[in-house]
Amino acid sequence: MKLLHENLAPPVWNLGELLARVDNDQELLRELISIFKEEFPQSLRSLQTAVATADWKKVASLSHTLKGMLSNLGGTRVAAAASSLEALASAGEQSSAKDALELLEREAASLVPEINAYMTEVRG
Amino acid sequence: MKILIADDDPLSRRLLERTLQRPGYEITVVENGKEALDNICRSEGPRLALLDWVMPELDGPAVCRAVRKRSDLNYVYMVLLTSKQSKEETVLGLESGADDYLTKPFNSEELRARLRVGERILLLEDRLVEARENMRFRATHDTLTSLLNRGAVLDLLARELHRSYREDKSAAILLGDVDHFKRVNDEFGHVIGDQVLIEIANRLIGAVRSYDFVGRYGGEEFLVVLNSCDPTYAPGRAEEIRRSVSQKPILTAKGPLTVTMSFGILQSAEWGQKSLEELLHATDDALYEAKAAGRDCLRIAKPPAPIDLPTVSPKSMRQRR
Repeated sequence: MKLLHENLAPPVWNLGELLARVDNDQELLRELISIFKEEFPQSLRSLQTAVATADWKKVASLSHTLKGMLSNLGGTRVAAAASSLEALASAGEQSSAKDALELLEREAASLVPEINAYMTEVRG
Repeated sequence: MKILIADDDPLSRRLLERTLQRPGYEITVVENGKEALDNICRSEGPRLALLDWVMPELDGPAVCRAVRKRSDLNYVYMVLLTSKQSKEETVLGLESGADDYLTKPFNSEELRARLRVGERILLLEDRLVEARENMRFRATHDTLTSLLNRGAVLDLLARELHRSYREDKSAAILLGDVDHFKRVNDEFGHVIGDQVLIEIANRLIGAVRSYDFVGRYGGEEFLVVLNSCDPTYAPGRAEEIRRSVSQKPILTAKGPLTVTMSFGILQSAEWGQKSLEELLHATDDALYEAKAAGRDCLRIAKPPAPIDLPTVSPKSMRQRR
């Protein structure tokens, strides 16, 4: 039962799916990761500011773009968090939106080390 | 095959670009919907487009709608890329004019397979356009000589006539008939007669400028329209055209044949506000005079007299003959 449960829970980082998407091209994978590392902190800051200033239209649009980026990168869980933030911001559910941002931040905090670990590993 | 990628997310752009480089697409990458639309609308622009749904300036569906409004473009096969997944949104996307719909994160195999579907559709369109162009050519050209056929050359002449009324530009109508063509057919057979007609057509086309028209008016009758032709030079140019046919023998399977033509010419200074039939009638009279004068010559038409009895429109005239 435990095994089944683990299979159902979306992984923090779905590396297998990502490798399939890049046709096992390690160079492209590294390139995508470096784009992510350059873009993500900036996008996250803009998102935090938008939530703080209650600019919900901007929150929806930023979280939408983040969702696309993260899902392409295989960051399944943080993408799901971005998706709920987008939905809540669009619906104007402001208090839940703040919770969703916190979730996104937590998920991102667990994704980044996994990616870094992988990068260290492949560089050997 | 050219393809456009439009996505505001740099990671998606790079991923899509690399995914499509492998199958050898010629890729253009843009960051927003406005640039996407500009690119698609360029001449020789991409006919396959991958459009992100949510983009600054114009979103994917807006790009699709704008492209579909343009009737002057070749068909553009557009695939919307999005993380929106509800049925309503799928319907909205397709209703905006998108051909297909792919959700992020995409699978690279699936993406390429869907684009191959697009290529099949575009190939089908190319074939249909080619077939239509062939039909159009056949409908307006003479099968034997590939010159404009009677209907097409009369249409062009009618247009030229209206233009000459509006603008102050000189033109001339030339009507030519092969001398004793029946003898060629009788002596050498229709195959040789056809060869002669084809060569005459080539010589006439070779003797006029690219903006003049040459049409096969009847069996061995040809109509030439000289556009923007200075009245002082028109008879001289008509003479050159006439001689281009007779100056060298035509090489046929049964030996070289010297063929001459008679011509009548009517210049636009004499057109007045006359109808097409009246002008053709006057040109035909001049051609008849050339025949009566011993053939192998050119006669200049007098100003056309009004035709008595029911006037016929060029269209009904064409149908009658």
